[in-house]
Amino acid sequence: MVTPLDIIKKKRAEAVARIIGRGYLSTKRVYVGMATCEIAAGSKEVMEVFRQSIAKGGLKDVYLSQKGCAGRCNLEPTVEIVEEGKIPVKYGKVTPERARQIIERHLKNNEVIEEWLI
Amino acid sequence: MRAKSILTLCDGPTCIYKNSRAIRDALETELKNQGLSDEVGIHISGCLGMCSKGPILIVNPGYTIYGGVTVQDIPEIVQEHLVRRRPVARLAVQEDHLYNRFFRIFGDVDFFGRQMRIALRNCGIIDPEKIDDYLSVRGYEALAKVLTAMSPREVIDEVKKSGLRGRGGAGFPTGLKWEFTARETGNEKYVICNADEGDPGAFMDRSAIEGDPHTVLEGIIIGGYAIGAAKGIVYIRAEYPLAIQRLEKAIAAARENGLLGKRILGSDFSFDMEIRLGAGAFVCGEETALIHSIEGRRGMPTPRPPYPSVKGLFGKPTLINNVETWANIPVIMLDGGEWFSTVGTETSKGTKVFALAGKVHNTGLIEVPMGTTLREIIYDIGGGIPNGKKFKAVQTGGPSGGCLPEEYLDTQIDYESLAAAGSIMGSGGMIVIDEDSCMVNLAKFFLEFTQDESCGKCTPCRGGTKRMLEILTRITEGNGKEGDIEKLERLGQMIKKASLCGLGQSAPNPVLSTLKNFRHEYEEHIFQKKCRAGICSALVTYEITEKCIGCGACRRVCPVNAISGKRQERHAINQETCIKCGQCFTTCKFDAIVKA
Repeated sequence: MVTPLDIIKKKRAEAVARIIGRGYLSTKRVYVGMATCEIAAGSKEVMEVFRQSIAKGGLKDVYLSQKGCAGRCNLEPTVEIVEEGKIPVKYGKVTPERARQIIERHLKNNEVIEEWLI
Repeated sequence: MRAKSILTLCDGPTCIYKNSRAIRDALETELKNQGLSDEVGIHISGCLGMCSKGPILIVNPGYTIYGGVTVQDIPEIVQEHLVRRRPVARLAVQEDHLYNRFFRIFGDVDFFGRQMRIALRNCGIIDPEKIDDYLSVRGYEALAKVLTAMSPREVIDEVKKSGLRGRGGAGFPTGLKWEFTARETGNEKYVICNADEGDPGAFMDRSAIEGDPHTVLEGIIIGGYAIGAAKGIVYIRAEYPLAIQRLEKAIAAARENGLLGKRILGSDFSFDMEIRLGAGAFVCGEETALIHSIEGRRGMPTPRPPYPSVKGLFGKPTLINNVETWANIPVIMLDGGEWFSTVGTETSKGTKVFALAGKVHNTGLIEVPMGTTLREIIYDIGGGIPNGKKFKAVQTGGPSGGCLPEEYLDTQIDYESLAAAGSIMGSGGMIVIDEDSCMVNLAKFFLEFTQDESCGKCTPCRGGTKRMLEILTRITEGNGKEGDIEKLERLGQMIKKASLCGLGQSAPNPVLSTLKNFRHEYEEHIFQKKCRAGICSALVTYEITEKCIGCGACRRVCPVNAISGKRQERHAINQETCIKCGQCFTTCKFDAIVKA
């Protein structure tokens, strides 16, 4: 008999496959905070910068996702960049201008911008 | 130089007992000897919830967990893992727990490292609008486990074993509440999620729903199974449009995946859910008023008993819990009630989410194990008071809570300790107050709120808070008189005893607790007509000191021509005409005007 547990395990495997299909295994994963508080602080515009950059082809091999609020109210909007095998990098108070620089310096040239880190 | 690896060492009581501090010293020495001090960071965390396997050392990146570490193991870990990049299999422990999932990403930041996340475990980690993201982090596995292998009785026993208590503020044992509702007969029962978050400055529920709506849904469905209900309702305030939108999306996705609706996951259990919007009345957070609001009636409380577990929504047995309570349920089902009960204090188990706000460096949303002290929250996580100001008080529990002064900073967070100190746990608001705030004015602010939000049904709350507010206003305007303090105390006690619902019964708390802990400020206001923080404008006098160079800027800005003086000579303020607007004070570039 197929139990609910069997069903959910199958669903999870399918979900993971779909996430990988969206490019999860890319070298870099970018997470932009998108809760009410972050949006109020300007994260929608920041998200748009990353989205545009990927859409226009300037940014390749990057997995972009939104996320909820991690709790750093005074440093919002926040952006995390996760790379396998490295300590995740967390940027605070990201503006569209900073987002553009993060794309150029960090995502394209692997330079961690120390002064904006949380 | 940016660290290539971060070692996180648990600094919880059990790990300290098991020698974690000696391990820390050994680590520092070993890293120095190997010349690795620059590229390896050592980070100290709060309890990581793996006490039985302590002392715990986590190596990131890679999230390798080492358990039962001894001082002798340190050279091997440093040599093998950090130099040769080969994890030490002998010491590694496999953990697939639900809690603390955020740790891989945030564990190396002080603000996060000291926390333990159960209810908020996925907040800030996954995409809240994609059910795939939730499924990938063992989402809905707790529900599947319950439907596969547990009877409703066993589910309730597991919740009882966990020691979980209501996170909405009152702290009623959740398992008992479930049991009371389950034992009612009748085929129609309801489950309600109370997301009517109304305390000023509180945003725990909003963030939880916006960050991880499926966790809340999963908890509610499990609750429905446990008590034998077929219908769940999320009552959420209309002011939270994004939370509502994400909840709707989550409910639709859950339906699509057979997680809501008829015969969930192929089992015999059917359950569905809908959202009801509240119009934002504070009183609708009170369970009986909330139920009436869903029924389409005016949101006003009714006396209990009968409790909702017996006679709730539409007169049927109803289980009603707060968002955060629901979010804990999947973890209890998967990681076990027994594990959950190892976190926290004797009477309060698990963690609590707080919205940390006010005069503190790191404002934000935090989740800490029960038993953490206020000092740890404010100084270790919150980073202390900005601008070198002095700590004055911490306010917990919103308009139903109280203000605790410095001598209570070492109070542990749990329901009983906070109550004994004269405040309450509440739903999780925590406001830090520095020396620049006037406690009388603060009490007045909260009372203005409760007075405004009083539903008016019972006289003590409706009329009593009004009278108290009048007295407070009088005091802050410099018209306080002898006997006012005693009158406030008498009224406060009367309202506490005679009000119908929990909100009325707790409305005087901000006043009573400041009267207890900051009585001298009330006395100064009344007898010396003085406000030490300079907040109550009627009690402030502005004076011009000898620093004045006679530039005339203040004289020109004064709207009532109360300032006079010759050019390049010290000016003076006519106190009779002065309306204490403070414009001269902000205009003066030479700090020549002082408040007194």
